[in-house]
Amino acid sequence: MQDERGLIEEARALGGGYFLLKIAAPLIAAAVRPGHFVMARVSPAMDPLLRRPLGILEGRPPYIWLYFQVLGSGTRLLSGLRHGDSLDLLGPLGNSFPEMPDKRVLLIAGGRGIVPLFHYARAYGERRPLVLLYGGRGKADLPLLERIKSLTLQRLFVFSEDGSLGQKGLLTDGLEKIVREERPDATLSCGPEAMLARLAGLLKGRGLNNLASLEARMGCGFGACHGCAVPTVSGAFRKVCDEGPVFPLEEIQWRT
Amino acid sequence: MADLSVDLGFRTLKNPVITASGTFGYGEEFLPFFDLDILGALVLKGIFLEPRPGNPPPRLHETPAGLLNSIGLAGPGSAALQEIIRRLHARTAVPIIVNVCGENDEEFAEVAAIFSGLEEVAMLELNISCPNVRKGGACPAQDAGHTARLVRQVKDRVRKPLIVKLSPNAADIVAVAQAAQDSGADALSLVNTFLGLAVDLETRRPVFANVYAGLSGPAIKPLALRLVREVCRRAYVPVIGMGGITCGRDALDFILVGASAVQVGTVNFRDPAAAARIVSEIALEMDRLNIKDLAEIRGKLQA
Repeated sequence: MQDERGLIEEARALGGGYFLLKIAAPLIAAAVRPGHFVMARVSPAMDPLLRRPLGILEGRPPYIWLYFQVLGSGTRLLSGLRHGDSLDLLGPLGNSFPEMPDKRVLLIAGGRGIVPLFHYARAYGERRPLVLLYGGRGKADLPLLERIKSLTLQRLFVFSEDGSLGQKGLLTDGLEKIVREERPDATLSCGPEAMLARLAGLLKGRGLNNLASLEARMGCGFGACHGCAVPTVSGAFRKVCDEGPVFPLEEIQWRT
Repeated sequence: MADLSVDLGFRTLKNPVITASGTFGYGEEFLPFFDLDILGALVLKGIFLEPRPGNPPPRLHETPAGLLNSIGLAGPGSAALQEIIRRLHARTAVPIIVNVCGENDEEFAEVAAIFSGLEEVAMLELNISCPNVRKGGACPAQDAGHTARLVRQVKDRVRKPLIVKLSPNAADIVAVAQAAQDSGADALSLVNTFLGLAVDLETRRPVFANVYAGLSGPAIKPLALRLVREVCRRAYVPVIGMGGITCGRDALDFILVGASAVQVGTVNFRDPAAAARIVSEIALEMDRLNIKDLAEIRGKLQA
């Protein structure tokens, strides 16, 4: 883990409140794996007080890429960063998705949940066939699609709830058929909690290795505050920051 | 070079900076960030006899320059903490303070006795002021009579110095402070978090399952500073002040109103090396203000 001052190389607005930052952060970039995240200090002042957890879209030393949606005061400040600005980062943090070199892997991404799965496909896609299932509310919610086309994927399925891009509907509507046709050994997923909860139901009992990356509000990002804990089916809590963010899908007690 | 050392009467610290309970994990989490020997002391996250899962999410809610938390004292229990302390002590010489919790008076005394018997532990801090254990935020430190009974009961079972951590949510914190010191507390620490409330206008429900939560961070500093001053005016034992400290000047403010030492809390989440930075900043500020020894300004507020 590094406490590093990143330098913004490029800041791009992608529309729909989504932004992409290319940041020179050589120490973090050298250590990053798919699933890792950083804690970004969004303000030099004390408001907002806490850092914000952000998944790493890609790491190619000396750069990392962060992709995020403006949701509140912290991400709004991040969206104002420009070329030449600096950003204090702690990272890489958390566990990561295992490479699983001999397995057929289906990647399932809902909205901004694309981040760790894009990273996975970038890191491992050229070594073996990957299938990506990517869904969102509409076209504005899927601004990374052009960039996704630069990945090496065996197949790409796109769903939008309003039908403005790809097939109309929820990605979970198409899951059954895709699993039947693609016959994956494992699924890696990230997205809204409601989507992950539905996935847990749909994938249950199929004998697949299902791993999900969770999003959570965090106080510290490195295990000290216990603020990001989520309930598991055993009744115990697990910390998303240092025991995750990647967990077996079946282990989480979904609230929806 | 200014002398940062602090004499608590029962023990000397090399500087007044102590990391606050619940904001510094079990110490180990911060080993990647700085040499813990830089600190005056550290307080571990509060501990009960048995493991506790803590409260359901959400556990955090950010406010302007502040943080509401309802962690619920999640923890591994006393047996597991002893192992953690041995591991930590093997890697650092910093004085370790155990933050002792209990569901009832007997448990407080039991946990205190366990850690009083542990060689690696320097002091105990009695956490009679956590607002996130009982619904509505009630805690023993809201009542002087209860505080007196509890402190006496714990003192009977321990040999190590006992710090009693007070609640800003008591109707009369000075009365509770007096009850604690008259009952044998070796030092007082304050403040724990202020009870606060966050609501969700969409769902018309409180943000936290426990309804109320504890507010910390820079937002509470003026409130904390006032209470520390009030307690220091009546205290004959050392007072450890805390509440929203983020820099060396903040720390010196608490010493000016009478605190012997300070605890640094929420800022550790934002800046994991903050406590080490604050030690350096205190030295720089003292040099700048031509203060050779903290005793020159301790309690010297002219009002």
